[in-house]
Amino acid sequence: MMKKMTRRKFVEAGALAAGALGGTSLMPGAWLGLVANANGKGYFESQFGITEALCRKLLEQALAKGGDFADLYFEHTISNYLGLEDGQVNRASGDIDLGVGIRTVKGDQVGYAFTQDLTEKSMLAAASVAATIADSTATKCAPQFVSVKGGDYYPVRTLFTAVPVSTKLPVVQSVNDKCFAKSKLITKVNCTLHDQQKRIMVVSSDGHIGEDLQPRSFLYVGLVGEKNGRKETTGWNLGGRKEFSFYSEQIVDRLVSEVVQRLMVAFESVQAPAGEMPVVLGPGVTGILLHEAIGHGMEADFNRKKTSTYSTMIGKKVAEPFVTIIDDGTNPKQMGAINFDDEGIPSEKTVMVENGILKTYLHDRISANHYKLKPTGNGRRESYRYYPQPRMRNTYMLSGPATPEDVIKKAQKGIYVEDVSNGQVKIGEGDFAFYVSRGRMIEDGKLTAPIKDMNIMGNGPKMLLNVVMVANDMQMAEGGAGACGKGGQAVPVSFGLPTVLVNSMTVGGVKRQGAQS
Amino acid sequence: MKKDMMELCAWVIDQAKKAGAKDSRTRFTRTRLVEIGYRERKPETIKEATNQSLILQLFVDGRFSSQSTADLRKSALTDFVSAAVATTRLIAKDEYRSLPDPKYYEGRAAIDLKLADGEYQKWSPEQRHQLVKVLENACLEAGGQSVISVEASVRDSFSEQAAIASNDCEGYQETTDYVLVAQMTAKDEGDRRAAGYDYGVSRYMKSLPDAGAIGRSAAQRTLAMRGGKKLKTETLPVIIENRGVSRILGGLISAMSGPNVQQKRSFVMDKKGQKIASDLLTISDDPFMVGGFGSALYDNEGMATRKRTFVEAGVLKDFYIDWYYSRKLACEPTIGGPTNLIIPPGKRSVEEIMKDLGRGILVNDFIGGNSNSTTGDFSVGIGGFLFENGKVTQTVAEMNVADNHLKFWTKLSEVANDPWPYGSWLTPSLVFKDVVVSGV
Repeated sequence: MMKKMTRRKFVEAGALAAGALGGTSLMPGAWLGLVANANGKGYFESQFGITEALCRKLLEQALAKGGDFADLYFEHTISNYLGLEDGQVNRASGDIDLGVGIRTVKGDQVGYAFTQDLTEKSMLAAASVAATIADSTATKCAPQFVSVKGGDYYPVRTLFTAVPVSTKLPVVQSVNDKCFAKSKLITKVNCTLHDQQKRIMVVSSDGHIGEDLQPRSFLYVGLVGEKNGRKETTGWNLGGRKEFSFYSEQIVDRLVSEVVQRLMVAFESVQAPAGEMPVVLGPGVTGILLHEAIGHGMEADFNRKKTSTYSTMIGKKVAEPFVTIIDDGTNPKQMGAINFDDEGIPSEKTVMVENGILKTYLHDRISANHYKLKPTGNGRRESYRYYPQPRMRNTYMLSGPATPEDVIKKAQKGIYVEDVSNGQVKIGEGDFAFYVSRGRMIEDGKLTAPIKDMNIMGNGPKMLLNVVMVANDMQMAEGGAGACGKGGQAVPVSFGLPTVLVNSMTVGGVKRQGAQS
Repeated sequence: MKKDMMELCAWVIDQAKKAGAKDSRTRFTRTRLVEIGYRERKPETIKEATNQSLILQLFVDGRFSSQSTADLRKSALTDFVSAAVATTRLIAKDEYRSLPDPKYYEGRAAIDLKLADGEYQKWSPEQRHQLVKVLENACLEAGGQSVISVEASVRDSFSEQAAIASNDCEGYQETTDYVLVAQMTAKDEGDRRAAGYDYGVSRYMKSLPDAGAIGRSAAQRTLAMRGGKKLKTETLPVIIENRGVSRILGGLISAMSGPNVQQKRSFVMDKKGQKIASDLLTISDDPFMVGGFGSALYDNEGMATRKRTFVEAGVLKDFYIDWYYSRKLACEPTIGGPTNLIIPPGKRSVEEIMKDLGRGILVNDFIGGNSNSTTGDFSVGIGGFLFENGKVTQTVAEMNVADNHLKFWTKLSEVANDPWPYGSWLTPSLVFKDVVVSGV
């Protein structure tokens, strides 16, 4: 059946074509349309007939009433999911998304339209809508497009659509079987494998064109267990901008061991304390602290509008000299890695806080123009349905001089955060919170009883000044499910943190300090 | 466009049958949306588009999958359907998967829910701009010298949804929505800013709330948030403002859902028929509210909706169970989730209640937080106002409420008379006694 299929048909059938192959062998990778093509045509030209001449026509239409620049964002995304419940991989889902977003920018004003119908007529109509933001005479489009010089932070050798369902399925099944084999206390296992490949093409009227293929995947397992009448649940995932080959037996074993261990610890957990106290954040995913406490507030749209608490702090001391905080789009295979952003600006490593001094906001093209600076490659969007905004990528703090043991010892009495599930920030106030799904008590400078399910709160600028010790063990988060929401748009991001002591934050447990129950 | 959309659905079902899916269900949604945002008295964003999506759910030889696409070219759809069926064949059988028994399709209520505004197409771009200008201006004027930034927007949409299932069920529904939002940032102490917003939603243009009133209210709410302080940990009565009740209630509703009950991730899974809350808590579902934001004559599976009670005077009466989980749990299906969730309002206003409570906190803001559906433990950050004898004495920020749902809902001591009008959860403000609010 596949032999009769033209390449175009395969791509259109997208999410599901590979499934139709069952366990049979596949076409060679090159045939599956990895971006570079022998004939020099890009993906969107070869699959959908989007030529540079057509792009120029659309951009000219978008600039028919003037404006500083216009851009086109083409997207073809294929997502798949396999799910296991009650012992069997008995559910699958897939999604094919296709469309183009057209934007006209005049100063800080944006006209935007999108269409899912990639015909010239429909796209020209969308361009006309975007054009309505301006009201003067036409702006010219560059006569030629130069390729964006992006990075190569997540090379794709095998597309997810080239991996048959029959190859993916045993991986999901094995997680279930291995979990049940490890403990009789487990009552339910849920396991899912999510994968996505997003192809984008950005074309701007000032003469840039870029195509990218962004993979994203994760393997999740959730457990429910019961011990002596006490029911607990836990879950974990591993992933990132990874290919299917990442999900080796070794990775499955690690996921299973860790999640089963977490469930066993949950059975022993005690009530979390309430009130202000020292908080030590363990390394890794706890970097959500930076994402909420400083990252969002450093997004330059909030600063050019003066709505962020950080909008008057550039150049000022915001933390001790051993604190350096970075937002980075170049970490290989991390969720927030991007070869170039959704405005066609190459990705980079942006230092927000250097040795305690606030250095740079995170810019998209509009804010960079406002501040007369180079954009930092933070212009991102969820899909062609939205115009880009300044967004974080991978946000982390560099390692400091201390050892993790020193940091815990220094805290003496407080709590230790091991895993977090979600967070939030109020941009103007700088108040932030994150939810701890797993942690430990710290008593007499040592880790003791496990705790869980508590909100932790603080104020961004105050918390930064309260970072009193940083260890030498920076780690990045390892999950692939993390998404950040802003203005109704979700984009994949990641975090990292070394072991860090914050002198005081508000811990929202139920046990009042000094109380007996 | 009803005819075209229903024809496409019928064609997809037919294609699925030809590809080997004896049973299938498809839903085709098309939404026209317009958004206009203003800042500094000029348009900041103008957005307009039509979004289309087709979902196909397949039941092939006892196997199930759900596939969706935005690529609606006929040739692409043909390949999509055949590949979807082929994929479905590759996964494990699930004896509980099937289309609903057609008897559950029967008895659809004969009510005109009036979910679409017949005058939607008449609304011009100029009218939209005018409305946002009024909204922005009202907020700027009420905010006065304290304003750092005001953003105002109007969003509206016209949505059509056609659905067909292969065992003789079909439906078509048009809906419209209009949303007005004003948000403001104001000067506060030092580098701190106070931010707040207000909004209004309607299904019809003519019943849109007054833009000027929303703009003024957004400013007043923002100005009231200035000077927020963390207080000492204290046990006291707490009033949760109507619009924010869902942030806590969501944890209870989630534990009442079929998947969580069947997968043993629910702290109420074995509590049907038992008291789980104070007598004052009743939660019912009314799918037939004219113009309601959650109203529907049939659910996502085509089953006829009806009024139901899930919690009655504190007693758990039922779970939110769709067709699949009803088969797994060997019980009758209800509905997969709330349509219009109703908590019957009480008699007194929040102001009257505040006068009687002595010292307490009125919560109008949440931050972070989550709820564990298996154990019932939750913890969430709150902000609002400390009041004493009816008068606000201090703005509160960065405090926290943590409890277990099975204890917390027994503390419900009064339901106010103000069901939230701009959403499908019509929750009045709720009063809880003896809540530990942690801070310094």
